[in-house]
Amino acid sequence: MKRTDQRPAWLRGVLDLCLLALLDEGEAYGYELARRLEELGFGAIPGGSLYPALLRREKLGHLRAEWRAGDGGPGRKYYVLTPAGRAALSEERAAWRAFAGSVEAALAGAEAAR
Amino acid sequence: MRTATWIEQLAHELAALDVPSADAAAIVVEAESHLGEAAADPLAAFGAPAAYARLMADALAPAASAGPAAGRVRARVAGVHKRYRGRTVLDGVDLTVRDGEAVLLIGPNGCGKSTLVRILAGLQRPDGGRVAVDGSVGYAPQHGGVAPHLTPSEQFVLFGRARGLSRAAAIRDGVRLADQLAWDAARAPVAAALSGGTRQKLSIVLAALGEPDLLLLDEPYQGLDLDSAQRFWELLWDWRDRGRAALVVAHARDALERADAVVELGRASAPLRSAA
Repeated sequence: MKRTDQRPAWLRGVLDLCLLALLDEGEAYGYELARRLEELGFGAIPGGSLYPALLRREKLGHLRAEWRAGDGGPGRKYYVLTPAGRAALSEERAAWRAFAGSVEAALAGAEAAR
Repeated sequence: MRTATWIEQLAHELAALDVPSADAAAIVVEAESHLGEAAADPLAAFGAPAAYARLMADALAPAASAGPAAGRVRARVAGVHKRYRGRTVLDGVDLTVRDGEAVLLIGPNGCGKSTLVRILAGLQRPDGGRVAVDGSVGYAPQHGGVAPHLTPSEQFVLFGRARGLSRAAAIRDGVRLADQLAWDAARAPVAAALSGGTRQKLSIVLAALGEPDLLLLDEPYQGLDLDSAQRFWELLWDWRDRGRAALVVAHARDALERADAVVELGRASAPLRSAA
Protein backbone atom coordinates (compact mmCIF):
# COMPACT_ATOMS: atom_id res chain seq x y z
CA MET A 1 0.00 0.00 0.00
CA LYS A 2 1.32 3.41 -0.95
CA ARG A 3 1.43 5.71 2.06
CA THR A 4 0.96 9.42 1.89
CA ASP A 5 3.46 11.70 3.60
CA GLN A 6 2.69 11.43 7.34
CA ARG A 7 5.01 14.22 8.37
CA PRO A 8 2.38 17.02 8.13
CA ALA A 9 0.07 15.14 10.51
CA TRP A 10 2.87 14.36 12.95
CA LEU A 11 4.24 17.89 12.76
CA ARG A 12 0.86 19.32 13.75
CA GLY A 13 1.38 18.20 17.32
CA VAL A 14 4.94 19.47 17.66
CA LEU A 15 5.22 22.47 15.36
CA ASP A 16 4.77 24.95 18.23
CA LEU A 17 7.43 23.21 20.25
CA CYS A 18 9.89 23.19 17.32
CA LEU A 19 9.28 26.88 16.70
CA LEU A 20 9.98 27.74 20.34
CA ALA A 21 13.15 25.65 20.18
CA LEU A 22 14.38 27.35 17.00
CA LEU A 23 13.64 30.77 18.46
CA ASP A 24 15.60 29.83 21.58
CA GLU A 25 18.66 30.05 19.34
CA GLY A 26 17.79 33.61 18.38
CA GLU A 27 15.07 35.74 16.82
CA ALA A 28 13.84 34.90 13.32
CA TYR A 29 11.03 35.77 10.90
CA GLY A 30 8.41 33.41 9.51
CA TYR A 31 9.89 32.41 6.19
CA GLU A 32 13.30 31.89 7.79
CA LEU A 33 11.73 29.50 10.32
CA ALA A 34 9.91 27.63 7.52
CA ARG A 35 13.20 27.17 5.66
CA ARG A 36 15.05 25.94 8.74
CA LEU A 37 12.33 23.41 9.53
CA GLU A 38 12.49 22.20 5.94
CA GLU A 39 16.27 21.84 6.21
CA LEU A 40 15.76 19.76 9.35
CA GLY A 41 13.71 17.28 7.26
CA PHE A 42 10.13 18.21 8.12
CA GLY A 43 9.17 18.82 4.50
CA ALA A 44 7.56 22.03 3.25
CA ILE A 45 5.80 23.91 6.05
CA PRO A 46 2.49 25.42 4.88
CA GLY A 47 2.01 29.08 5.78
CA GLY A 48 -1.43 28.07 7.02
CA SER A 49 0.24 25.99 9.76
CA LEU A 50 3.24 28.17 10.50
CA TYR A 51 1.72 31.61 10.99
CA PRO A 52 -1.30 30.62 13.08
CA ALA A 53 1.10 28.74 15.40
CA LEU A 54 3.35 31.79 15.73
CA LEU A 55 0.36 34.07 16.31
CA ARG A 56 -1.10 31.77 19.00
CA ARG A 57 2.20 31.77 20.87
CA GLU A 58 2.45 35.52 20.49
CA LYS A 59 -1.02 35.90 22.03
CA LEU A 60 0.00 33.56 24.87
CA GLY A 61 2.95 35.86 25.57
CA HIS A 62 5.51 33.21 24.65
CA LEU A 63 6.72 35.26 21.68
CA ARG A 64 7.15 38.96 21.13
CA ALA A 65 6.93 40.48 17.64
CA GLU A 66 9.40 43.03 16.32
CA TRP A 67 8.94 44.67 12.95
CA ARG A 68 11.99 45.45 10.83
CA ALA A 69 12.19 47.01 7.39
CA GLY A 70 12.74 44.33 4.71
CA ASP A 71 15.15 44.61 1.77
CA GLY A 72 13.03 46.94 -0.32
CA GLY A 73 9.94 44.74 0.15
CA PRO A 74 7.32 44.94 2.90
CA GLY A 75 8.46 44.90 6.53
CA ARG A 76 9.44 41.68 8.23
CA LYS A 77 7.93 40.46 11.48
CA TYR A 78 10.63 38.97 13.69
CA TYR A 79 9.67 36.70 16.57
CA VAL A 80 11.58 36.83 19.85
CA LEU A 81 11.26 34.22 22.60
CA THR A 82 10.10 35.82 25.88
CA PRO A 83 10.98 34.54 29.39
CA ALA A 84 7.48 33.01 29.54
CA GLY A 85 8.18 31.34 26.20
CA ARG A 86 11.47 29.95 27.48
CA ALA A 87 9.68 28.47 30.50
CA ALA A 88 7.00 26.95 28.24
CA LEU A 89 9.71 25.51 26.01
CA SER A 90 11.51 23.69 28.82
CA GLU A 91 8.24 22.29 30.14
CA GLU A 92 6.98 21.15 26.74
CA ARG A 93 10.38 19.78 25.72
CA ALA A 94 10.41 17.50 28.79
CA ALA A 95 6.83 16.37 28.08
CA TRP A 96 7.66 15.63 24.45
CA ARG A 97 10.79 13.64 25.34
CA ALA A 98 8.75 11.49 27.71
CA PHE A 99 6.12 10.94 25.02
CA ALA A 100 8.69 10.22 22.30
CA GLY A 101 10.29 7.72 24.70
CA SER A 102 6.96 5.94 25.07
CA VAL A 103 6.52 5.74 21.30
CA GLU A 104 10.05 4.39 20.92
CA ALA A 105 9.49 1.85 23.70
CA ALA A 106 6.29 0.63 22.02
CA LEU A 107 8.05 0.29 18.66
CA ALA A 108 11.06 -1.49 20.16
CA GLY A 109 8.79 -3.81 22.16
CA ALA A 110 6.79 -4.72 19.08
CA GLU A 111 9.98 -5.43 17.17
CA ALA A 112 11.43 -7.59 19.96
CA ALA A 113 8.23 -9.62 20.19
CA ARG A 114 8.41 -10.68 16.53
CA MET B 1 -3.27 32.54 -8.82
CA ARG B 2 -1.67 35.96 -8.81
CA THR B 3 -0.12 36.93 -5.49
CA ALA B 4 -1.71 40.39 -5.64
CA THR B 5 -5.17 38.84 -6.06
CA TRP B 6 -4.58 36.42 -3.21
CA ILE B 7 -3.36 39.20 -0.91
CA GLU B 8 -6.34 41.37 -1.81
CA GLN B 9 -8.75 38.53 -1.06
CA LEU B 10 -7.00 37.82 2.22
CA ALA B 11 -7.55 41.45 3.28
CA HIS B 12 -11.23 41.15 2.30
CA GLU B 13 -11.64 37.91 4.25
CA LEU B 14 -9.97 39.30 7.38
CA ALA B 15 -12.25 42.34 7.26
CA ALA B 16 -15.28 40.07 6.82
CA LEU B 17 -14.22 38.18 9.97
CA ASP B 18 -14.01 41.48 11.88
CA VAL B 19 -10.29 41.08 12.55
CA PRO B 20 -9.10 44.45 13.94
CA SER B 21 -7.46 46.44 11.17
CA ALA B 22 -4.03 46.65 12.83
CA ASP B 23 -3.92 42.85 13.24
CA ALA B 24 -5.23 42.37 9.71
CA ALA B 25 -2.55 44.67 8.28
CA ALA B 26 0.17 42.75 10.14
CA ILE B 27 -1.16 39.41 8.84
CA VAL B 28 -1.32 40.70 5.27
CA VAL B 29 2.16 42.23 5.30
CA GLU B 30 3.65 39.09 6.84
CA ALA B 31 2.08 36.84 4.19
CA GLU B 32 3.13 39.24 1.45
CA SER B 33 6.70 39.26 2.69
CA HIS B 34 6.72 35.45 2.89
CA LEU B 35 5.39 35.10 -0.66
CA GLY B 36 7.85 37.66 -1.94
CA GLU B 37 10.77 35.78 -0.51
CA ALA B 38 9.58 32.23 -1.20
CA ALA B 39 8.44 33.14 -4.75
CA ALA B 40 5.76 30.48 -4.21
CA ASP B 41 2.22 30.11 -5.52
CA PRO B 42 0.08 31.58 -2.70
CA LEU B 43 -2.53 28.81 -2.94
CA ALA B 44 0.15 26.15 -2.53
CA ALA B 45 1.96 27.98 0.26
CA PHE B 46 -1.03 29.27 2.26
CA GLY B 47 -4.20 27.67 0.89
CA ALA B 48 -7.33 29.64 -0.02
CA PRO B 49 -7.48 33.19 1.38
CA ALA B 50 -10.75 32.48 3.20
CA ALA B 51 -9.32 29.42 4.96
CA TYR B 52 -6.11 31.20 5.92
CA ALA B 53 -8.02 34.22 7.22
CA ARG B 54 -10.15 31.91 9.39
CA LEU B 55 -7.07 30.17 10.81
CA MET B 56 -5.43 33.48 11.69
CA ALA B 57 -8.65 34.90 13.16
CA ASP B 58 -8.93 31.79 15.34
CA ALA B 59 -5.31 32.14 16.46
CA LEU B 60 -5.97 35.76 17.41
CA ALA B 61 -9.14 35.06 19.39
CA PRO B 62 -9.20 31.43 20.53
CA ALA B 63 -12.41 32.02 22.48
CA ALA B 64 -14.26 32.76 19.26
CA SER B 65 -12.92 29.68 17.52
CA ALA B 66 -16.41 28.70 16.41
CA GLY B 67 -16.15 31.57 13.92
CA PRO B 68 -18.98 33.90 13.02
CA ALA B 69 -22.41 32.31 12.99
CA ALA B 70 -23.23 30.86 9.60
CA GLY B 71 -25.51 33.14 7.63
CA ARG B 72 -29.17 32.43 7.18
CA VAL B 73 -29.91 29.98 4.36
CA ARG B 74 -31.19 31.89 1.30
CA ALA B 75 -31.43 29.03 -1.15
CA ARG B 76 -31.50 25.30 -0.65
CA VAL B 77 -31.57 22.70 -3.38
CA ALA B 78 -31.89 19.06 -2.34
CA GLY B 79 -31.79 16.05 -4.64
CA VAL B 80 -32.94 17.99 -7.69
CA HIS B 81 -33.46 16.06 -10.92
CA LYS B 82 -34.14 17.49 -14.34
CA ARG B 83 -34.42 15.81 -17.71
CA TYR B 84 -34.31 17.86 -20.88
CA ARG B 85 -35.01 16.42 -24.35
CA GLY B 86 -34.70 12.89 -23.03
CA ARG B 87 -31.35 13.56 -21.41
CA THR B 88 -30.66 13.84 -17.67
CA VAL B 89 -29.11 17.26 -17.04
CA LEU B 90 -29.39 17.39 -13.25
CA ASP B 91 -29.08 14.17 -11.31
CA GLY B 92 -29.69 14.62 -7.60
CA VAL B 93 -28.03 18.00 -7.10
CA ASP B 94 -27.61 19.49 -3.60
CA LEU B 95 -26.69 23.09 -2.99
CA THR B 96 -26.99 25.66 -0.21
CA VAL B 97 -26.38 29.39 -0.44
CA ARG B 98 -26.27 31.43 2.75
CA ASP B 99 -26.17 35.12 3.51
CA GLY B 100 -22.62 36.42 3.28
CA GLU B 101 -21.62 33.73 0.83
CA ALA B 102 -20.72 33.96 -2.86
CA VAL B 103 -21.02 30.42 -4.16
CA LEU B 104 -19.47 29.63 -7.53
CA LEU B 105 -21.11 26.99 -9.68
CA ILE B 106 -18.70 25.30 -12.06
CA GLY B 107 -18.69 22.33 -14.41
CA PRO B 108 -18.25 21.42 -18.08
CA ASN B 109 -20.53 22.74 -20.84
CA GLY B 110 -23.96 21.15 -20.82
CA CYS B 111 -23.76 19.92 -17.23
CA GLY B 112 -26.86 21.85 -16.22
CA LYS B 113 -25.42 24.94 -14.54
CA SER B 114 -27.77 27.33 -16.36
CA THR B 115 -30.71 24.98 -15.81
CA LEU B 116 -30.06 24.94 -12.07
CA VAL B 117 -29.87 28.73 -11.96
CA ARG B 118 -33.09 29.00 -13.98
CA ILE B 119 -34.77 26.64 -11.51
CA LEU B 120 -33.63 28.85 -8.61
CA ALA B 121 -34.93 31.91 -10.46
CA GLY B 122 -38.29 30.16 -10.76
CA LEU B 123 -38.22 30.00 -14.57
CA GLN B 124 -38.09 26.20 -14.75
CA ARG B 125 -39.46 23.47 -12.54
CA PRO B 126 -37.40 20.51 -11.45
CA ASP B 127 -38.68 16.99 -12.24
CA GLY B 128 -37.88 15.93 -8.70
CA GLY B 129 -36.27 17.09 -5.48
CA ARG B 130 -36.80 20.18 -3.36
CA VAL B 131 -35.97 23.83 -4.06
CA ALA B 132 -36.49 26.57 -1.51
CA VAL B 133 -35.58 30.23 -1.96
CA ASP B 134 -36.09 32.64 0.93
CA GLY B 135 -36.60 36.23 -0.22
CA SER B 136 -36.27 38.22 -3.42
CA VAL B 137 -34.13 37.14 -6.36
CA GLY B 138 -32.10 39.14 -8.88
CA TYR B 139 -31.19 37.16 -11.98
CA ALA B 140 -28.85 37.92 -14.87
CA PRO B 141 -29.22 35.21 -17.54
CA GLN B 142 -26.28 34.21 -19.70
CA HIS B 143 -27.81 35.98 -22.72
CA GLY B 144 -30.51 38.51 -23.33
CA GLY B 145 -31.19 39.86 -19.87
CA VAL B 146 -31.82 43.39 -21.13
CA ALA B 147 -34.54 45.11 -23.13
CA PRO B 148 -32.91 46.13 -26.43
CA HIS B 149 -34.98 49.22 -27.19
CA LEU B 150 -34.86 50.94 -23.81
CA THR B 151 -32.03 53.09 -22.48
CA PRO B 152 -30.21 51.84 -19.36
CA SER B 153 -31.85 54.55 -17.24
CA GLU B 154 -35.32 53.48 -18.41
CA GLN B 155 -34.50 49.89 -17.51
CA PHE B 156 -33.22 50.98 -14.07
CA VAL B 157 -36.60 52.64 -13.48
CA LEU B 158 -38.58 49.58 -14.62
CA PHE B 159 -36.53 47.03 -12.67
CA GLY B 160 -36.19 49.37 -9.69
CA ARG B 161 -39.94 49.87 -9.43
CA ALA B 162 -40.44 46.10 -9.19
CA ARG B 163 -38.14 46.18 -6.14
CA GLY B 164 -39.79 49.18 -4.55
CA LEU B 165 -37.36 51.90 -5.64
CA SER B 166 -38.56 55.35 -6.67
CA ARG B 167 -37.61 56.55 -10.14
CA ALA B 168 -34.83 58.79 -8.79
CA ALA B 169 -33.46 56.10 -6.44
CA ALA B 170 -33.49 53.49 -9.22
CA ILE B 171 -31.48 55.72 -11.58
CA ARG B 172 -29.09 56.79 -8.82
CA ASP B 173 -28.44 53.17 -7.69
CA GLY B 174 -28.19 51.88 -11.26
CA VAL B 175 -25.66 54.52 -12.25
CA ARG B 176 -23.67 53.87 -9.06
CA LEU B 177 -23.54 50.10 -9.71
CA ALA B 178 -22.58 50.74 -13.34
CA ASP B 179 -19.82 53.04 -12.13
CA GLN B 180 -18.46 50.20 -9.98
CA LEU B 181 -18.11 48.28 -13.26
CA ALA B 182 -16.32 51.24 -14.88
CA TRP B 183 -19.30 52.12 -17.06
CA ASP B 184 -20.98 55.52 -17.38
CA ALA B 185 -24.62 54.49 -17.76
CA ALA B 186 -26.20 57.91 -17.22
CA ARG B 187 -26.03 59.00 -20.84
CA ALA B 188 -25.84 55.61 -22.56
CA PRO B 189 -27.99 54.90 -25.66
CA VAL B 190 -30.58 52.11 -25.96
CA ALA B 191 -29.23 48.67 -25.09
CA ALA B 192 -29.22 47.43 -28.69
CA ALA B 193 -26.59 50.08 -29.50
CA LEU B 194 -24.26 48.95 -26.68
CA SER B 195 -21.34 46.54 -27.11
CA GLY B 196 -21.81 42.96 -25.87
CA GLY B 197 -19.63 43.60 -22.83
CA THR B 198 -21.56 46.73 -21.89
CA ARG B 199 -24.89 44.92 -22.29
CA GLN B 200 -23.49 42.33 -19.92
CA LYS B 201 -22.72 45.07 -17.38
CA LEU B 202 -26.28 46.35 -17.76
CA SER B 203 -27.60 42.86 -17.11
CA ILE B 204 -25.52 42.60 -13.90
CA VAL B 205 -26.68 46.03 -12.71
CA LEU B 206 -30.33 45.14 -13.34
CA ALA B 207 -29.94 41.92 -11.35
CA ALA B 208 -28.34 43.70 -8.39
CA LEU B 209 -30.59 46.77 -8.41
CA GLY B 210 -32.61 47.18 -5.23
CA GLU B 211 -30.45 44.68 -3.33
CA PRO B 212 -32.37 41.42 -3.83
CA ASP B 213 -31.75 38.80 -1.13
CA LEU B 214 -30.24 36.34 -3.59
CA LEU B 215 -28.22 37.31 -6.65
CA LEU B 216 -28.10 34.75 -9.48
CA LEU B 217 -25.56 35.46 -12.22
CA ASP B 218 -25.00 33.15 -15.18
CA GLU B 219 -21.45 33.67 -16.53
CA PRO B 220 -21.73 37.38 -15.81
CA TYR B 221 -18.23 38.37 -16.90
CA GLN B 222 -18.44 36.85 -20.41
CA GLY B 223 -17.35 39.53 -22.86
CA LEU B 224 -15.97 41.82 -20.15
CA ASP B 225 -12.43 43.08 -20.56
CA LEU B 226 -9.91 42.17 -17.85
CA ASP B 227 -10.29 45.39 -15.90
CA SER B 228 -14.08 45.18 -15.93
CA ALA B 229 -13.98 41.51 -14.94
CA GLN B 230 -11.78 42.40 -11.97
CA ARG B 231 -14.25 45.13 -11.02
CA PHE B 232 -17.07 42.62 -11.30
CA TRP B 233 -15.34 40.34 -8.79
CA GLU B 234 -14.80 43.29 -6.45
CA LEU B 235 -18.49 44.13 -6.71
CA LEU B 236 -19.31 40.52 -5.90
CA TRP B 237 -16.97 40.41 -2.86
CA ASP B 238 -18.45 43.68 -1.66
CA TRP B 239 -21.94 42.17 -2.02
CA ARG B 240 -20.88 39.11 -0.05
CA ASP B 241 -19.04 41.18 2.58
CA ARG B 242 -22.22 43.11 3.18
CA GLY B 243 -23.78 39.83 4.20
CA ARG B 244 -25.73 39.15 1.03
CA ALA B 245 -26.02 35.89 -0.90
CA ALA B 246 -24.93 35.19 -4.47
CA LEU B 247 -24.70 32.19 -6.78
CA VAL B 248 -22.46 32.70 -9.81
CA VAL B 249 -21.97 30.36 -12.75
CA ALA B 250 -18.21 30.53 -13.32
CA HIS B 251 -15.33 28.79 -15.02
CA ALA B 252 -13.22 26.36 -13.02
CA ARG B 253 -10.23 28.62 -13.64
CA ASP B 254 -11.94 31.53 -11.88
CA ALA B 255 -13.37 29.31 -9.19
CA LEU B 256 -9.88 28.24 -8.15
CA GLU B 257 -8.77 31.84 -8.01
CA ARG B 258 -11.85 33.31 -6.40
CA ALA B 259 -13.14 30.39 -4.36
CA ASP B 260 -15.38 31.30 -1.47
CA ALA B 261 -17.45 28.19 -1.77
CA VAL B 262 -17.57 26.09 -4.92
CA VAL B 263 -20.11 23.59 -6.17
CA GLU B 264 -19.10 21.47 -9.11
CA LEU B 265 -21.71 19.91 -11.36
CA GLY B 266 -21.20 17.13 -13.84
CA ARG B 267 -19.09 14.84 -11.68
CA ALA B 268 -20.19 14.36 -8.10
CA SER B 269 -22.70 16.96 -7.06
CA ALA B 270 -21.20 17.23 -3.58
CA PRO B 271 -19.71 20.61 -2.69
CA LEU B 272 -15.95 20.72 -3.24
CA ARG B 273 -15.59 23.10 -0.39
CA SER B 274 -17.98 25.21 1.56
CA ALA B 275 -17.22 28.40 3.39
CA ALA B 276 -19.97 27.56 5.84
